Amino acid sequence: MATSHSRHKWRVLFLIFPSLFWLIVFFLIPLLLVFAISFGQRGTYGGVEWDLTISNYFRFFDPRDPLYLRIFGRTLYIAFITTIVSLLIGYPMAFWIASRPPESRSSLLLLLMVPFWTNFLVRTYAWILILRDQGLINTIWTGTLHGWLISLSQVLPGLPLEGLIHLTTNPLPLFGTDLAIIIGLVYGWLPDMVLPCYAAIERFDFSLVEAAQDLYANRVQAFLRVILPLTLPGIVAGSILVFIPSLGAYITPDLLGGAKSVMIGNVIYSQFMSARDYPFGSAVSFVLMALMLVGTLLYFRLAVDSGKGESDGGQGI
Amino acid sequence: MDDGYAVELREVTKKFGEVQAVDNVSLQIHDGEFFSLLGPSGCGKTTTLRVIGGFEIPTKGDVLIEGEIQGYKPPFQRPVNTVFQNYALFPHMNVFQNVAFGLQMRKVPKAEIRERVNEALDQVQLLGMGKRKPNQLSGGQQQRIALARALINQPKVLLLDEPLGALDLKLRKAMQLELKALQERVGITFIYVTHDQEEALTMSDRIAVMNFGKVHQIGVPEEIYEKPTNRFVADFIGETNFMSGRISEINPEYVCVMVDETYPVSASPIDGVHVGDTITLAVRPEKLTVSSEKTREVNISGRVEEVIYIGTDIRYVVRVTDNIQLTIREQNSGGLAERRFQPGESVCVGWAKENASLLKE
Amino acid sequence: MADKAFENQTGDYQHRPPRGIRIGRGMLTMHGLMSYVFLYAPILILLVFSFNASRFASGTWRGFTLRWYLELFNNEALGDALKNSLYVGGVSTLLSTIFGTMVALVMERYKFWGKLAFDALLYLPIIIPDIAMAVMLLLFFVLAHMPLGRYTIIISHIAFNISFVAVVVRARLAQFDITLEEAAQDLYANNWQTFRRVTLPLLMPGIMGGALLAFTLSLDDFVITFFTAGVGATTLPLRIYSMVKLGVTPEINALSAVMLVASFILVILSFLIQKGGGTKVDLV
Repeated sequence: MATSHSRHKWRVLFLIFPSLFWLIVFFLIPLLLVFAISFGQRGTYGGVEWDLTISNYFRFFDPRDPLYLRIFGRTLYIAFITTIVSLLIGYPMAFWIASRPPESRSSLLLLLMVPFWTNFLVRTYAWILILRDQGLINTIWTGTLHGWLISLSQVLPGLPLEGLIHLTTNPLPLFGTDLAIIIGLVYGWLPDMVLPCYAAIERFDFSLVEAAQDLYANRVQAFLRVILPLTLPGIVAGSILVFIPSLGAYITPDLLGGAKSVMIGNVIYSQFMSARDYPFGSAVSFVLMALMLVGTLLYFRLAVDSGKGESDGGQGI
Repeated sequence: MDDGYAVELREVTKKFGEVQAVDNVSLQIHDGEFFSLLGPSGCGKTTTLRVIGGFEIPTKGDVLIEGEIQGYKPPFQRPVNTVFQNYALFPHMNVFQNVAFGLQMRKVPKAEIRERVNEALDQVQLLGMGKRKPNQLSGGQQQRIALARALINQPKVLLLDEPLGALDLKLRKAMQLELKALQERVGITFIYVTHDQEEALTMSDRIAVMNFGKVHQIGVPEEIYEKPTNRFVADFIGETNFMSGRISEINPEYVCVMVDETYPVSASPIDGVHVGDTITLAVRPEKLTVSSEKTREVNISGRVEEVIYIGTDIRYVVRVTDNIQLTIREQNSGGLAERRFQPGESVCVGWAKENASLLKE
Repeated sequence: MADKAFENQTGDYQHRPPRGIRIGRGMLTMHGLMSYVFLYAPILILLVFSFNASRFASGTWRGFTLRWYLELFNNEALGDALKNSLYVGGVSTLLSTIFGTMVALVMERYKFWGKLAFDALLYLPIIIPDIAMAVMLLLFFVLAHMPLGRYTIIISHIAFNISFVAVVVRARLAQFDITLEEAAQDLYANNWQTFRRVTLPLLMPGIMGGALLAFTLSLDDFVITFFTAGVGATTLPLRIYSMVKLGVTPEINALSAVMLVASFILVILSFLIQKGGGTKVDLV
């Protein structure tokens, strides 16, 4: 706009100042603080001794005491499986939404997003209700299903149902397992997979499929050789958007996982809340953040590359 | 301000990064003039308009409105108003509030505002639409509201950025006449940007033809059309036949051009040329006639290649040499039985010496 | 195969796809619908069980009751938590909306030195895992000797909500038709008047949407609040968490149901407000 440059500067400064202040004082500085403390040592009463050392990082990656490495590995594994499952559920879901008439699409997308923005704690709690030993699934399993099987075996004594009946006496060990965590994470982050896939599929030009079929490709080939490659950017974006938060999960493993299904998030929590080993906790946080930073950079790099086709703004004439 | 200009641009240049949008443009626009900036998309005409309005500040050069250098003045301090290409009507205000906006900003008393707004709406035949929102109006109506909103402020100069672009053909033609009549009635200077040459020729007192940020020619419509000064103007406005050749003779009555090294053709003399110069002869199709023998001042012979019947006109495409092909438009003043030339026939193409222009390029 | 499929159909040649494709399409629809069921089932189960007249929170159905909701009302500790949640939510939303809108304006309209770096900084709170941010803030408050309580929670919420509000408002600004501002200036409105009479009203749906989002995020936040609340303050999510840790009870179901419905309403409101009020989109 046609204003002289000095007035311009004051306006920018005024508008940016509160946010700049907040983000520097209550974000950047704490971030740097964590980094700094990660090199400290735990004091006797839980304070920080500024005895600089990298030992905290070594402790985490120590191959002789692989406790933390194992947790790290499990975190990666759970995040990875979560991503795959979300992809298998989310991509076809996105495909379906994209195949709906335009009016339904925005409502469907809204329906998809609304749960996403509601209370994560509460939604995770809902899965406790479903998965635990006295939960919904197991009530049906050991109760209703068990009852039906018994009645069935009395009516038709010939059928080999003993195995099944025995199975349904005990509840399924769903709760407190890696599986429960994966279910909870998929549930929580599914929309983050669906949306980018949807965006990519929606942009896809279906006349290319017709062209492929005109050239003797059957539907499977058309999918693998035309649709999939061209919607790949969406898949990649969605995967990163699911993988990254899954790495940093805390609530889900805390509520749905057991003592044996610990993820990095839980380690950080316990270091800060029980062990009070701030330096070590900071080191672990930092490792987590570094991981996520790499992932995010990857995401932006890929997002930029796939968006390169768009023109930059027209030159004002 | 004696006989000063309404708007003057002095060596105005505007660069966006590396791109030269406006290249050393100097213009003088008179009071009460309907002045058009004409050119293809991207030629810099809109940027020039925006520079006058204050939406862009020139990289170099000065903009003067009524003799006053505008410098860094923002739009709200300039005595000009703009009709935008997309109308830019405020969607959250109704028609009345839109039209009243400029007056409100200048603290005109409420009673006066009401009176003037109703008058303005009446002028564009939209009285009674005051309570409607812009998105409830048709394209033509929106355009007129945009006009009313600008004019109500009685600016010294009105800037119009392709205001009729979004209207369908019939409406556009009607609006062209209306706008011209309006301008004559109100007497305000209009600076009008368009890419439609017919529009510019119809409405303007003077036209500046632009391309790649430069002004190629300024003149009244007849001048621009009949006497283009360079190839771009000749080509952009209407249709033109081009013949290049070398000047073989210069004398006070005429200049002789050896067209395509083969045919001597005489043309009206111009300054600044010497024997041996390469030059282009430009003549419009409707100035040419086709006949079996030399009948006009200047003649050139060739063979008919195509005859195209368009109803109102008959077009002949005549091949003169390998490099030269001429298009001739003859009015279809005859009837069904009228004899026309056929492809393959040898003909003479003729014109009056003064109807051809010599272009140095 | 295609030929056989058409043997039994008369006159439908143009309209019916061969059976193979229909099966594929049917499966896709099934999958789509089932996925939505998957998304909403836990929520519905929770809602249903909150009315279950059984002491066991997720056992068999023993009849309909509002008892657990009534007990919520009488729970004093919950009342405190609710008040805190609302207070923290209100204050942090107000401030983060103002700051976030201001920052959005700067980022979308102006160029300045360090803009790219600041842009990255602005996005970080959205990307960073909850737990990392919680830890950062806790350390900061502890080392700065700031007492943990309502105000540290507010500070923390503002720290992440600025970015969320900024994203929403920026999206809105990006679609904003700038010729409207130019028109206002052309009609003698100076920069402040243009902002107040044209930009702001048209931006309002986006700002409100951002504010509602911020409020929801603040109400629902657990991890960051947990770390920065200390002993002094509780919010609803914190209460829910401590209740869950003690064991699943039907009161939790009722409370969760209430929270869910509240977030649901807020989110839908936010979407609706943002959809209302278009700029360029309407005129085209």
